[in-house]
Amino acid sequence: MHGDPIIRYRGLYKAFDLPVLRGIDLDILQGEMFGLFGASGVGKSVLLKTTIGLIVPDQGDVEVDGKSVFFGGPQALRRIRDRVGYVFQHAALFDSLNVFENVETGLPVRRLRSMSRMQIARVVWEVLERVLLDPREVMRKIPSELSGGMKKRVGIARAIVGGPDILLWDEPTTGLDPVNTAGVQRQIRRLSRELDVTSVIVTHDIEGGLDMCDRVAMLEGGRLRFLGTPMGFRMSTDPLVRAFVDRAAAEAAVDLVATT
Amino acid sequence: MTRHSDSLFSRGQRWLAGVARAGHAVLRHAGEIAILLRDIAVALVGLRVSLRSIVRQMYVMGVQSLPIVIITAVLAGIVTSQQGGYQFTGAIPLYVLGSVVSESVILEMGPVLTAIVLVGRVGARITAELGTMKVSEQIDAFYSVGRDPVPILAAPRVVAGIIVVPVLVAIANLVGILSGMISAQITVGLGPNSFLYGARLYWHSWDLVYSLTKALVFGFTIPVIAIHMGLRTEGGAEGVGKTTTQAVMFMTLAVLVMDALFPPLMLD
Repeated sequence: MHGDPIIRYRGLYKAFDLPVLRGIDLDILQGEMFGLFGASGVGKSVLLKTTIGLIVPDQGDVEVDGKSVFFGGPQALRRIRDRVGYVFQHAALFDSLNVFENVETGLPVRRLRSMSRMQIARVVWEVLERVLLDPREVMRKIPSELSGGMKKRVGIARAIVGGPDILLWDEPTTGLDPVNTAGVQRQIRRLSRELDVTSVIVTHDIEGGLDMCDRVAMLEGGRLRFLGTPMGFRMSTDPLVRAFVDRAAAEAAVDLVATT
Repeated sequence: MTRHSDSLFSRGQRWLAGVARAGHAVLRHAGEIAILLRDIAVALVGLRVSLRSIVRQMYVMGVQSLPIVIITAVLAGIVTSQQGGYQFTGAIPLYVLGSVVSESVILEMGPVLTAIVLVGRVGARITAELGTMKVSEQIDAFYSVGRDPVPILAAPRVVAGIIVVPVLVAIANLVGILSGMISAQITVGLGPNSFLYGARLYWHSWDLVYSLTKALVFGFTIPVIAIHMGLRTEGGAEGVGKTTTQAVMFMTLAVLVMDALFPPLMLD
């Protein structure tokens, strides 16, 4: 059983050249794993980025544990960001910093100031082991010396080192081979359980997402086309939802979108 | 007749729309630069800028730019000396060449050519570096971990520019005058003593202040424009290329426009 809403998206509207989000209302419950699906460019990552104020909506607000992201002021936003870990699609590691320094930046500044170099090294070491990397091997490497899978793991380490309550995963398996994809998915499950966090996962890997998540939603045309359980998603009769779980339905949906 | 006036009207409308768009873009850039400068000032006043980062940027901007700055200054000195020698021979006392070379180098060649070189070498690098960080979500990553990228990425580059560019210009001035002096000896047979006599004859200490003030302003402007453009990059590798080209254009124009504004402000 999951608790009260910990993230609340309220009337989110965002347009770039065209509207991407058209009034999204959505609650993410404490402790759940929530999957967000949708075609490329429908605004999944935009929605995720509004959670910590990386993208400012034209209308609406996001609340994290009752605190407004956009109307609470810079101090409140900093506290929210300290509580949320964000795993970027392509890891977004800092090019000029080595793995140790990259992970170190994930520690909240206030906590960092109260720690000795030895304590910081120990925390970074432990978190690298937690994401199944050998600290001895990778600590001093810079991102360009790492494989794609290793970069993702370092990105995960940076997101969890501060002990977040919420983890936001932006397409965590994009660009990975099937073995690394399975490995990262296993880590998402394990870390969410071990760290007792709320996870929101944006993914194109529908099967993986349906297996991992407690609830899922599908974005289409700037609105939520589906919101419910993975079972409900699999059983849905909506042709666009079917297109995400069934190859033949996907072919039909291409024709449907073309004719409409 | 109606069709003719319609087409005139729509052309006028299009022109007005273009002017409005350009005005909007200028105001937006100005506003964003003002916010960037405020954030840099806040970071500096709050001592949130690492000395190590400033020293590193001084090395990248200063020490690594030194060879190209020296080569440019040597060539500028030689060209000025040769052209002056060509024009003066038989008409004006040759020792005046010392004054022409030293004044040209200190007032104009040293600061402006150094700034143009730094636009390409330092400004383009800053825009491309920060632009790549922007499109690869590294700037977002800073915010996501509760860090403000301005004290880490922007402020050290601006401080380093303000310190390093006057030093580079001082070196360029010295090297330019020396190379001009050697060139004068070789091409028109003007000895160093006569060259220095001419240089001292029309020497004003204020000219050096003028030269270094220009350098200081260029050293501030180049990184500010480069950082501003880098942080507003969008659209992947193509976006980085496009923004870097625009940044080089803006920085070059800024240097040349400010260069034109300096004489009425600082020279009688």
